[in-house]
This record gives sequence, structure tokens and C-alpha cells, in this order.
Amino acid sequence: MKEKISALMDGELDQRAAAEAIGGLGRAGEATEAWRVYHLISDGMRDTRAFSEGFMARFSERLAAEPTVLAPASLPGRTPVQRFAFAAAASLAAVALVGWLAFAPQPQAPQPIAQAPVPAALVQAVNVPLPSAANDYLLAHQGFSPRVSLQGMAPYVRTVSDEIGK
Amino acid sequence: MRAWRIAALLCLVAGAAQAQSPESLAWLRKIQEATRNLSYTGTFVYQHGGRSETSRITRLASADTERLEVLDGMPRELVRTRDTVRCYLPESKVVKLERRTPDRSFPALLPEKLSALAQHYDIALGETRRIGGFECKAVVLTPKDNLRYGYRLYADTASGMLVRAVTVDSAGNQIEQFMFTQLAIGRVTPEMVKSRHAASGFRVEDAEAAPTRLAGWSLSSELPGFQKVVELTRRMGESKPVGQLVYSDGLAAVSVFIEPLQARRDPARTGLASLGAIHIYTREVANHMVTVVGEAPAASVQRIANAVEYRRP
Repeated sequence: MKEKISALMDGELDQRAAAEAIGGLGRAGEATEAWRVYHLISDGMRDTRAFSEGFMARFSERLAAEPTVLAPASLPGRTPVQRFAFAAAASLAAVALVGWLAFAPQPQAPQPIAQAPVPAALVQAVNVPLPSAANDYLLAHQGFSPRVSLQGMAPYVRTVSDEIGK
Repeated sequence: MRAWRIAALLCLVAGAAQAQSPESLAWLRKIQEATRNLSYTGTFVYQHGGRSETSRITRLASADTERLEVLDGMPRELVRTRDTVRCYLPESKVVKLERRTPDRSFPALLPEKLSALAQHYDIALGETRRIGGFECKAVVLTPKDNLRYGYRLYADTASGMLVRAVTVDSAGNQIEQFMFTQLAIGRVTPEMVKSRHAASGFRVEDAEAAPTRLAGWSLSSELPGFQKVVELTRRMGESKPVGQLVYSDGLAAVSVFIEPLQARRDPARTGLASLGAIHIYTREVANHMVTVVGEAPAASVQRIANAVEYRRP
């Protein structure tokens, strides 16, 4: 189960296996514990900023104030059953994450330097390897970066070298 | 907590200097003019996340031509002229060609735009120190919010040439840096900016970029300070036309690429990838793959990606 949770966090499970693993998270036990510990480890390694004090209270308040979102026009490709499964999995994941946040000890939050409002519910993204076309995207992007006028072509060096690409 | 001490120190340094002084803007202008008007050749190191890569850059100002050669890893050579950027990949015998679009690619930071930067950054002069034999003045750009990175630019006091550029996050951690380890100003010949692959019969992949309106595509909410600067269609590799929208705050830029799912050879994975100060966030919207690429904090790139929406026009 632990391997499955680890693979789930890395986004390596297919849809069915992911749904199964997320289902396991709904029941308290080894899986939930692994989920909590792995996130703690990865947050620690990445030196992720802790949520500020009172995050849950503010989050709940804003969530309650959110208007109901009407479903967009259906797109081809996903059947209603799949969509339901997806939504169910997503809400389970949200419950697991929120549950963990609510019960985790709150380390002392560092003082933020800048006070710009951070959206309450920006979920930590899944980390994936660079897309295979990363160099094409980078080359296409770089031409529009104003930094070029301060630095010449140097920023163009930010393309994927073979060691990263492989 | 070391990072916080550095950040606090940075704030002190920035606070001590006069914020947004005409002097600091004049320094940015000086850097910009040196970049455009000087001929130079040098070796610089690009460092990010424990990796470093050495490259050689040469500019011949009279021909407005610049050549960049990556010396480590996969061989790559880029040559930029007034109207084109060519990226030579000798291993695959391909040259990727980007052309200036009639409207506004290869944007320059015009003087009036420089002062607009002060909306989003506190711009101040920092310490003077020697780097690679050059006496350098630090220009510190501290973002006013956490949607963008901060920069420390070190410019040669004599010529204005940018010798070192460091990107820092809101906690003061160094994200990436460019630094000349050797630099000679002047004495550049046309031969030195010519590609060594120019006549080797590489296959040309032309981006064929053309300004357009990408009907139906927009951001449900723009990121504060980031305005749309360009909207075009282009080719990438051998793909079908890809839409590209670019948003910029005057210093950082974020591109949104939109391509039909069925045109892709390989399934892309939803999520975030990073390369130095660049973050790439991929997600699926309305049967299209949306890839957002930008030199901004991951949360900013992700916010733009999440705001991409399609409404039937």
C-alpha cells in the first residue's frame, strides 16, 4: 500500500489504480498515515512554506462564500460515470488533504515579506518531468522575455541539456 | 532560517538605498544601452539548482548580431539577428527558426516601460563590488508582491555591461544566476558571430509565427501586473499550429501555449516542471493541451494556467 501511495503522489498511477489508492485513503490506517508522512517528508525536503495561522478558518469562510459553479457544457471524451468517479476522487483527496492540514501541528510560520493576497485554495501541483517538447516551448517563449533587452541572449541558455532531458 | 536572515538583510539594504531613485532607473537604462550598443565576447556560467553550465556569448553591435554557444552537455548554438533567432542542433541536424513578427516580438524595455517597472518592483542601488575583474554596481529589484521573483543585477560601473544577474525568490533564496567568468568588450569581428553550422544543410523548422486572435481563449482572471503583450499562432517542431499568448509585467514573461490534444504524438502529463527560474505547468482545457511557461514563481505560473478558459465564440 505504501508503494501505491508513493506512486500516487508522484502521479505514476493510472486512473483506476489512483482511484483505488484514493479509496484506501478514505479509510483511516496505514495508507492515510503514509500519505501524511510522505507529504511531510517532501514538504520538508523542498522547504515548503507552512500555511499561515488561521488558514483553515479563512479557507472555510471563503469556501462557504464561493458561489455555486455551474457545470460547463459537456466536452467529448469523458462519460458521466467517469466524471462522477473523478469528482468523487477529487473530493476524497480534498478531504484527506484538509483533514491532514487541520490536525497537523502548526510550525511557527515565517513572516511573509510581501502582503499580496494568496488565493486560499491553490493546491500544491503534482511535480512532473519536463515535457519532451520543453526546448521548443522555451525557445518560443524566450523571444518575448523582456530580460533579453537587459541581458542579451544569455537567457536562451535556459534550454534543457541532455542530462536533464533524459 | 538562514534564508530569512538574508531576506531581512536584503530588505535593509533596499530600504537604506533610496527606493525608485532616478539614479537606479538610470542604471537600468545604462545596462540596457550597454547590452544593445556594445560589442563583446565572454564566457558565462548559468547556475540553477546545484547545476552549472558554461556558455560563450559574442555580440557584434554594428551588425546587431549575437551568437551563443552552449559548451556543456548537448551541443547547441543560437544566432540572433535583428529579425531572426536560429537555434542549431548539430546532433539532430535541425535548425529551429524564429522570426520577428510584424507587431512586437523581441520586445525592448523602452525607457517609459522601465519606469513602469516601479509599479511592481522596488528598484534600488546596492553595494559596489568587484566581479571577474570588473568594478560592479548592484541594482536590486525587489518585487512588491509574491507573484514575481526579485533580481540583483551587477553592472560594470565603467561600461554598464551586465556582469552578473541573480534571481531570488520571496524568501531570499537564490533561484538561478548568470555570471561572466571572462568578458572582453570590443574587438569583435563578423567571423566571430557567424554560426559554425551555417552552411551544413540542416533541416529548417520554421516557426512561421503570425499574429492572430485566438478566438474563444482567454484568462478568466489575469495575474496582477501581467498584461497580454502578444497573441499569435506558430509551429513548434513538426506540430500543427500552436496558439501562444504572452503576458508580461515588463520584466518577467509568461507564455501560454494551446494545442489540440489529437495533434500531439505523446500524451502530456498534467503537473508542474521546473528549470531554474522557469516553471512549466501543463493541463487539459476543452480538449486542448495548455502549457504555461514562465520565469515566475510556480504559484504564478499555476494561477495563469488555472485561469485559462475556452468559451465558444
